[in-house]
Formats: sequence, structure tokens, C-alpha cells
Amino acid sequence: MSLIPGINKVILCLVCCMALTGCVKDIDLDQAEEIGLSPDIDVDLLIYDISEDYFYQSGNNVFQPVIRDTVRLEFLDDDYIQKDLTEVEFYFRHINTFPQRFSHTIKFLSNAGREQILIQYEVAPGSLNNPVETDYTEIIEENRIHLVRNSIQMVIELEAHPNSDEFKGELKFASTGLFKFDF
Amino acid sequence: MRCWLLIPFLFCFSLLSAQNKPLLYNVDDLPQSLLLNPGAQIDFIGHIGLPFFSQIHFSAGTSGISLHDIFRNHGTNINTRIKEAMHSMTSYDHFTANEQVEIISLGWQLDKRNYLSTGIYQELDFFSYFPKDLAILVNEGNANYINDVFDFSQAAFTGEILTVYHLGLNHRFDQRLTVGVRGKLYSGIFNAESTGNTGTFTTITTPQGPNKYRHIVDNMDVQVNTSGFASLNEEEDMTVEEGTAELLKRSFFGGNVGVGLDLGLSYLVTEQFVASASVQDIGVMFQREDVESYHYYGSYQTDGLEPLFPELDETGRAIPYWDEFEDEVDRNLIDRTYNEPYITWRPAKFNLAIEYGFGQAFLPCNYLKVNEVRFMNQIGMNLAGVLRPRGFVYAFTTYWDKKLTEKQRFRIAHTFDDYSLANFGLMYSVTFNKFNLYLAANNLLGFRNLAKARSTSVQLGMQMVFKDL
Repeated sequence: MSLIPGINKVILCLVCCMALTGCVKDIDLDQAEEIGLSPDIDVDLLIYDISEDYFYQSGNNVFQPVIRDTVRLEFLDDDYIQKDLTEVEFYFRHINTFPQRFSHTIKFLSNAGREQILIQYEVAPGSLNNPVETDYTEIIEENRIHLVRNSIQMVIELEAHPNSDEFKGELKFASTGLFKFDF
Repeated sequence: MRCWLLIPFLFCFSLLSAQNKPLLYNVDDLPQSLLLNPGAQIDFIGHIGLPFFSQIHFSAGTSGISLHDIFRNHGTNINTRIKEAMHSMTSYDHFTANEQVEIISLGWQLDKRNYLSTGIYQELDFFSYFPKDLAILVNEGNANYINDVFDFSQAAFTGEILTVYHLGLNHRFDQRLTVGVRGKLYSGIFNAESTGNTGTFTTITTPQGPNKYRHIVDNMDVQVNTSGFASLNEEEDMTVEEGTAELLKRSFFGGNVGVGLDLGLSYLVTEQFVASASVQDIGVMFQREDVESYHYYGSYQTDGLEPLFPELDETGRAIPYWDEFEDEVDRNLIDRTYNEPYITWRPAKFNLAIEYGFGQAFLPCNYLKVNEVRFMNQIGMNLAGVLRPRGFVYAFTTYWDKKLTEKQRFRIAHTFDDYSLANFGLMYSVTFNKFNLYLAANNLLGFRNLAKARSTSVQLGMQMVFKDL
């Protein structure tokens, strides 16, 4: 029993020391200020699948070599784009069965219609039995990212280059954007 | 001596974890043992807790990472460490925090068989599984996870702050069996929960499709229920005093209410073996006041916007492709806010324990029978569990309980749980005249550097405990 007074003091000291003087070591909570999110978001943009009919004016059936359409991409005006977007990688793909080549133009315009980004490339001719794929990638890095932030309209312009072959086929278009953020 | 009784406890529970108080369970001279097991054997005839100080309990744990894993002051960039931690954890890893403060605690012996105890305590309880898929999606995006499924069902959490009013009766049937019951009234201060969510988000490659990818939200059904949150959130000009007054009002049944029950028993299998079991907080909360729920549901898939060529419609106006896309998304992925009452279940807990006493002593250990033969030492095992959204979370504790004198005792415990395999705890209780002071802490090794500890738990309190000496 003579050991008991010693034991209880040891226990009390131990519990008190452990519970009341527990410490936090080897960490730096100031690093919390460096915490960021860096998601890379891959999203579909525009698609189309057109035939020769799209190149003839409805009503008078007159051939028009250039067709265009405009899509507003309202999300480009959102806060996360305006503040945190660091890089964009646009990917465009055509699969062509027309025996003609096409000039494809993509313009990103501001709300006022001012051109910010111009992308132009040629779509290679194919044939009904041999669809030809054309891929094109445009990377907008940080030094040009303000151009994406200024944009809100995407204009697609397609110019056909007729030749001696029959103007008949199908042209499929796919496009995606890889948006890199640093929140 | 019937050691076979111990074998199932030793070998059946290898994957265990929980938020519990094994250091106070079945401590027969602490009134707090009645909160863990209303049918506990006790050796006092009355108690009065020092208001707000009879029990202060705090516990916190993370099963997957520690503070040190993220914030260590050397090595890689913190964002790299966060990314690594996210990948090392699973959707079954969880974060938990629990706090209890006894506001009032008292009890007295009604007769030789019955002990009545009552009181009020305030409790905060938070539990969340790690929503791994969603965390990775937010942190890294989908670009590197094409064809991988992001599962919304991983998002599950519960959080509540409430005041508990309780009244319990401890009844001794005979020399072997003691049973107890405790009724509880809950007064909710705050609640937020999101459980039972479903749905997935996937970006798949579509080699034969119209675009390179297809984005699919499938069968999404995510709901977050809150009570006691909307009014505080809306009152932008609320002062601290007004906020405190509002919370105090809710503490006294000014907000949401509920009822609950604790049950427990102790049984002397032999003179040396005591088996006990209890369930706590079999209870329900009726969330009716200041309720706001957010519900997101539906399915949708897209390959992108499709311009029609030409760009003008029949009326000569530009076709609003984006507006049409947004309308279509809104029709299919629906976002609703409700103010409907809802029901929540309290996180029910259970304890199963067996104790073996040795080192016989003649102590006035039981308020029903003075000078009963008891033991100076007890070794015991306790399996505890708490019901969380995906089932019970367990902890298995073995302990040695030693009475040093009539006034002093300690308990050394080791707990297996999700947080640590080396969770050693220590409880010390001392009584000066009738004034009792106790202090208990789990995961003592973790106290050397709490940043590395995945869990910690502390209980302390002081009270007057009366014994029939």
C-alpha cells in the first residue's frame, strides 16, 4: 500500500500533462493561404452534322458557298471564367465525306461584336466511302487568356470550295474546350 | 474462471472504430456512467453536479488523415499533399466531432432499489463521410477522369446542436440484475443533414457519337435539410447578442423538439464476472421550425450545343441556343427549395461490456447493499457503436480499472478504432470528502503532437457525490 500515494500522483500528473498540455508541432497553418483548387474541366462545345442541302438557299435553291452561325456562350461571362481561368485548349474535329475541301473559321467575339480570337484551318476532302478526319487544336495560354474572358459569342463559318466532283456528302463537326482553372 | 466468455470479445472484432466514452463506462462511483448505461451498477446514494462543469466532453477524429499530413512544415507543396490525401482516403473515411457540456446534473436514491437521476446537457454532434469523388471532381476536374463515374451518394453528413433534458431510473431487481431507463426530451438548436443521396456524373468518350465526349448526370437526387439555419443566414444585421438570445431561446424548446430513450442493464454472471449492455439515444427529432431544404434531382446528358445553320430563325432573329440549352437543363436537372418539416433520427449508440473483478476487497460499493464484497481491480472489454448514415461505427476497448483507495481510482484503456491502433486512454477520479473530480483522456500518445493524432477525446468534470458509508 505504500506504493499507492506515489501512483496516484503519477497518474494525476500524467493525465493532467497529457490532457492539458497537449501540443501541436511541426505544422504551419499559414499554408492555408496557399490552398487552391486547380480543376481541369473538359466540356463539349458545339456540334453539327450537315449535308449539301445546307449550302442551298431555301426558296430559290441557289448555291451559297459560305454558311455561318453564331452561338452565345454565356458561361464565358461567369465569375469563375473572369477571375480564375488560366488556360484553354480548344479541340475541333471534322469528319468529311464531301469530295470538296472546306475552309473553317471560328471567331470569338465580344458582346459588342469585336473579334477577340480568330481560328482558321482547312478541312480535307473525303469521299462517301472514305470519310476523312481533320483535327485542329488551339491553345490559349495565360498571356492570351483575357481574349477568352472578353468573348461571349462563338461564330462558325464554313466555306465550301467546289470542284469538278459532285457536291454531295456529310460534314460532321465536334468541338470541346479544356478549361484550366486556378481558384 | 470462465475465461471463454472473453474469447468472443477478443477475436470477433478486428475492424472497429467509434466516438464513445469507454473511460467512463461502468465507473460505478461516477454519475456520468448512468448517462452511458442507465442500468449501471453504482455505489453512491446521491449526486449534484457543479453546473456547467460536471461533465465537459470533447472528441474529434478523422479516419483518413491528420492535420500533420496536410499542414506539415516541410516537404511538398500543400496542394500536392491535399491531392495525395484525397487519393489515399476512401469514401468510407469520415470526420467526426462531438461535444457535450452538462448544465445541470443531479440524482438521489429513492429507496434501496431505485436511483433517480436527472439533468440537462448541451450536445454538438457532427459526422461526415469523405465524399471522395466529388472532392476530386472539384479539386481536379473531369479532364483526367474521362469515363470515370463520380458518385453523388458518397456525400453524406449529419450535424446538430441540441439541448437534452433527461430523467432516468436505475432499478435493482435483485443481487444479480440491475436495469435502467432514461427518457430524454431534445430541444434542437441547429440541424443540417444530407443522407441517402443518389446519382452519378460521368464524362464518357463517344467514338461513334456526335462529339468527343458525352456528359451524363444520371438519376441525381441530392437533398440537404436544415433547421435553425435559414433565419440566422437571412438576418444579416443580427448582432452577436441577438444571435445568442435566439440560440438560448431554442435551447428551451423554442425551436424543434424530439424524444428519446436510453436503456441499460448490468448482470452479475458470477461473483467476478459482470456483463452489461446499453443503448442510448434511440430518439427522433421533429424538425418543424425554421426549416429549409434544398433538393437537386433529375437526369440529363449532352453532347454540346448544336447550331442549325442558318443563324437566323424565320422571324430574322438570332437563335438563342444558349438560353434554350439552359432551359433544357433546368427542365431536367431541377433545383427546389422547400420549407417542409422533416424528421431526423439521433445517432443511436450501444455498449456491450464484460468485466472481470479480482483483488477482493470489502468496500461499500453498492448503494443498495453496504459493505458488499467487491474488487479492487477490474479488467474489462467494451464494444461500442454509434449509428451513422451508412451503418454502425465501432470501437473496441479493453481496460484495467484500479481502485487505489476508497477515494481514488484510475482506468487504463486501449481502444481499437478507425483512427488509431495505439489509442491508449487514462482516467483518474479522486474524491475530497464528497467533492469528486475526474479527468479522462483518450489517445494519450497523440497528445505529444495533436497535429499527428487522428483522434482525441477529453472528459473532465467535478461534482458532489454522496455515498452511504
